[in-house]
Amino acid sequence: MKLPKLKTGVAWAAVALIAIGVLIAIGAQAQPALAQTATPQPPNQTNETCLACHTNRSETFAFASGETKSINVDNAALDQSVHGSHNPNGSVACADCHGTAPHFQGKAPSLRAFVINISKRCANCHSSEGSGQADSVHSRAQAAGNLNAATCVDCHGSHTIAKPGQPRAAISETCGQCHQQIFAVYKESVHGAALLEQSNPDVPTCINCHGVHDIQNPTTATFRLNSPQLCASCHADKALMSKYGISTEVFNTYVSDFHGSTTTLFERQAPDQPVNKAVCYDCHGVHDIRAPDDPKSSVMKDNLLATCRKCHPDAAANFPTAWMSHYIPSPDKNSLVYYVDQFYQVFIPGVLGFMLIIVFTDIFRRVSDRIIKPNGKAGKGARP
Amino acid sequence: MTSKAKNPATSFSRFDLVQRVQHVILIVAFTGLALTGLPQKFALESWAQAMIAAMGGIEAIRVIHRVLATVLMVEVVYHGGEITYKLFVLRLRPTMLPVLRDLIDLVQKVLYNLRLRQSPPSMGRYNFEEKLEYWALVWGMAIMILTGFLMWNPISSTRWLSGEFIPAARIAHGSEAVLAALAIIVWHMYSVHLRRFNPSMWTGKLSRHEMQEDHALELESLESGKAPAPIPPDVLRRRLRVFIPIAVIISGLLLTGIVWFVTFEQTAITTVPAYNIQVVPPELETITTPQPTRQP
Repeated sequence: MKLPKLKTGVAWAAVALIAIGVLIAIGAQAQPALAQTATPQPPNQTNETCLACHTNRSETFAFASGETKSINVDNAALDQSVHGSHNPNGSVACADCHGTAPHFQGKAPSLRAFVINISKRCANCHSSEGSGQADSVHSRAQAAGNLNAATCVDCHGSHTIAKPGQPRAAISETCGQCHQQIFAVYKESVHGAALLEQSNPDVPTCINCHGVHDIQNPTTATFRLNSPQLCASCHADKALMSKYGISTEVFNTYVSDFHGSTTTLFERQAPDQPVNKAVCYDCHGVHDIRAPDDPKSSVMKDNLLATCRKCHPDAAANFPTAWMSHYIPSPDKNSLVYYVDQFYQVFIPGVLGFMLIIVFTDIFRRVSDRIIKPNGKAGKGARP
Repeated sequence: MTSKAKNPATSFSRFDLVQRVQHVILIVAFTGLALTGLPQKFALESWAQAMIAAMGGIEAIRVIHRVLATVLMVEVVYHGGEITYKLFVLRLRPTMLPVLRDLIDLVQKVLYNLRLRQSPPSMGRYNFEEKLEYWALVWGMAIMILTGFLMWNPISSTRWLSGEFIPAARIAHGSEAVLAALAIIVWHMYSVHLRRFNPSMWTGKLSRHEMQEDHALELESLESGKAPAPIPPDVLRRRLRVFIPIAVIISGLLLTGIVWFVTFEQTAITTVPAYNIQVVPPELETITTPQPTRQP
């Protein structure tokens, strides 16, 4: 009986080994999921798994703060979004954004905290946008404790995320959701009106000046000193401006005058220092920029003195014409400046030419004296 | 030409110490004004920006420029007083005044230089070259002070003038500066440094040989003993009794004018223009830090 006993033992050992092997194999499959969360997971948490519970549901989830949120997901809308099945990289799984079950309860004390937490996951795929956003005014405001500061989801949406900037007006309207007063002013401006009423493809939306994800504080000295370049990026573009009959000399004429030379020097040499010399928006307005022939424009002739007085409180009626209004002096515009310049164009070479003629004749005499010895006298002794 | 004076002096006095000191102040102020001013005219050029950065930035060089301008204006007032004293109290000849003879000297000098004339013109105490430079400086100073005032006090100026005068002044000031700097390099450098170093602004004196070449007429006059007789002390006292009060009043007024010039107006606010933009509605500005809550 000894041998059969032994055989039985080997058989059991073989069974045990196979069983262990199978268990290891199963365990290996489950390992990544287990690594992510301490709680046991179903081996394949597909969208179907989630939607099995989250479709056609009327229940709400209650946060500790007392806020509630519907647990229902409109899968058709989700599938139409950029993250749906049209996505060339394949649709994004629920778990990619939400993590795997058992959900977020307990982690987010409020609906807002829940949104903020989810937004942090966007950077897992959108890393450059994420790192840009992490350096933005919104992220800094949030780090300082203002949970209202915009996250990815606030601008892009959640389940129904569409391709951004379509239509273009949607960009500014999105910012306007929080920045209502600024949006109301912008809407009336030459840029805003063209965008919102005529779907103009060229005028700046909010992000053209402020940036997209890495939006910086626009009240810093650096932003102020860079702002003329910002305006010039369109207003010195000949092809773009010719569409609207706008002069591209606005930037050159600004930079060559007192205000522009000073801000340009600071921008290059000390970009973090506050400078009180006017930049484009000091005269033209910030969000309320209007065409210069608009009666409400701050640079309209009748309004110009008031605009100058913002910085030059004692300015009198003639003072605004000390600024040449971006015109290059010509016989028709700023003729005094033109003729003074013309005078010196002639006077400087005239005076210097006269001086040089005399100097050269003197050199000629001195050199020739050394070569041609004067009659009867030693050439060398004639001159020191 | 050769003088027959009994004891021919070997050197001749040209400039007294006060004149030489004025010249040094002029050198410092002129050079400083050019170094701080020309980079402002060419502010967008890289060499100008390097110079501005080296001198402490645009706001710093503007201050230096204005300080040196003030120094130069004070010197102009002093110089005016000095000339008035020499002309009206000492009754010296107005040797710096341009006369028709200067034009003849110029033509003769050019002809001589071109070997179309045997001898150079005999010239007086100040020859046409020196007069040209002196009056160029007077002209330049007048333009610079006038246009400088307009730029320094644009608000006050445009109470009386059209605004266009300010950019016109800017063009004139910068162009005149280019002319002045180039004229100094061409004319002054050549005539007193390159051609032959003229030491009189440092030593106060010129040698007989130098006098012979540049101021033959003056040399002749000095050696012939035609020097003006000294003024009797009582005459001098009488003249000074008139001169001193007038000089004090006028230079006092002029110096007050300079103070007025440099402190006339506060052109602009000293702060960055303010903007009151409501960035987000107040309800979004409130910081809503989540309260620690118990788990349900």
